[in-house]
Amino acid sequence: MNSFIDYFHTDWEAMTTSDWVGTILTVVIFLLMVGLYVIVLRPKSRDKLEQQKYIPMDDDKIESGEKNGG
Amino acid sequence: MDAAAEQKYNFDVVRWFAVMSVVYLVVGALVGVYIASELAWPVLNFDSPYITFGRLRPLHTNAVIFAFGGCVLMATAFYSVQRTCGVRLWSDKLAWFTFWGWNAIIVGAVITLPLGLTGGKEYAELEWPLDILIAVVWLSYFFNFIMTISIRKTSHIYVSNWFFLGMMVMITYLHVVNSLAIPVSLFDSYSIFSGVQDAMIQWWWGHNAVGFYLTAGFLGIMYYFVPKQAGRPVYSYRLSVIHFWALMFGYVWLGAHHLQYTALPDWTGSLGAAVSLAMIIPSWGGAVNGMMTLSGAWDRLRDDYILRFLIMSLAFYAMSTFEGPVMSLKTVNALSHYTDWTVGHVHSGALGWVAMVGMGAIYHLIEKTYHVRMASQALLNAHFWTATIGAVVYIVAMWVSGIMQGLMWRAYDDYGTLAYTFAESVEAMHPYYAMRAVGGMIFLLGAVLMLVNVIMTVRKSVSEGNLQQARTAVAGA
Repeated sequence: MNSFIDYFHTDWEAMTTSDWVGTILTVVIFLLMVGLYVIVLRPKSRDKLEQQKYIPMDDDKIESGEKNGG
Repeated sequence: MDAAAEQKYNFDVVRWFAVMSVVYLVVGALVGVYIASELAWPVLNFDSPYITFGRLRPLHTNAVIFAFGGCVLMATAFYSVQRTCGVRLWSDKLAWFTFWGWNAIIVGAVITLPLGLTGGKEYAELEWPLDILIAVVWLSYFFNFIMTISIRKTSHIYVSNWFFLGMMVMITYLHVVNSLAIPVSLFDSYSIFSGVQDAMIQWWWGHNAVGFYLTAGFLGIMYYFVPKQAGRPVYSYRLSVIHFWALMFGYVWLGAHHLQYTALPDWTGSLGAAVSLAMIIPSWGGAVNGMMTLSGAWDRLRDDYILRFLIMSLAFYAMSTFEGPVMSLKTVNALSHYTDWTVGHVHSGALGWVAMVGMGAIYHLIEKTYHVRMASQALLNAHFWTATIGAVVYIVAMWVSGIMQGLMWRAYDDYGTLAYTFAESVEAMHPYYAMRAVGGMIFLLGAVLMLVNVIMTVRKSVSEGNLQQARTAVAGA
């Protein structure tokens, strides 16, 4: 290996159908995960998500039907 | 005493799984100490094939991972899913099928492994009839869990259940694919994979058994039992969501880092190492999330010995999720691979993280489901210190031994000749093997103290009538 660029050299002609399916699926799932991080971390989601952390604390209320776990 | 919960939920199956997990902890650790002692003092083989290291080692790993770890996961998942969803288990009969089926598999392992009947796959040694039984019993656990969630009273599914579900989905298909084999007799079969594909599938399973069974499943335990024992909600729920999805996406890529410098294409090992490094971020995020749950209440650690187990486990979790990625780097791997450093790393995760968080959760469960405090706080405290000291002695011995081994194996003189023979490296390791056995004995002593304490607590609950009162008292009284 001569350089950093060589390390990432890809022989696109040699890519099989399986290679393409795997590559596309991986990139799509990665982008979905990044999108999920954006949704989870944006300030608007904070209160909605953070109130769920009380579910284990409120299990007595959940049992009696007083609280719907958020 | 929580009579309402006792009468509403199925705690019976939880109690049985919890108690059996402690029994298997003692058995698994005992076999581990014995084989560690065999390596230090080979006379302990007694020239019997049934108790050689090669046959007892898979018995040890199966006992601690699948018997102890499995019973802990089943007890905690069945307990927490009922509490966080506000409903009883979907099917009591299916839960009992899971209990007896899982224990039957363990009996099968105890009989077949010392006889040398194995499929030859690491962490998946059991022969094909037992593999099929594992798949059936695991699916019964999975189905009951998901059906319980489907009838929940809460609108949101709490994050501990996500981690348990992630484990159940991934282990189902990892186990089935890795165990695909052609049977040639009742106790013999051949994997359908061969050569480099077989190696890749083996470590795709091997590392994901760590990633999903021993990490995601036990993180499910952490996210329910740390807040419950601390009496405070988890520090950041958003961080727990990020932790979950990063783990689910990342872990499946890591297996190839077990196969650096082998016949596998070079890029697969590099990819495994790169993603391993990236995984430090969510892993440490999760560890910090668990520890910061105690923010403002650190004084609780002074007298809550169960909480100590849970928090100490997170320190080991952070340590081993940093060490693993470092070891996956090719430069470090060239020194560490095939040495005892790997054994030390595995046990820092297994003894420090998995066992500590599991034992903390089981203590919590015993108190909650038997409606009584642990019979002896002194034994509880003694167990915490023996477990911690035993784990540290074990890990340090293997670190020193492993690095020394790696350095001796690759040392050469001016003529390019190896400086040491293999036998010389074995001789040099002897003191550390003895030290490892001593560390294991200290950890085993703690496990025995736990079993004694659990038996005393169960007897106390029965003699004081706490369990009976919880079963018969007017709910809410």
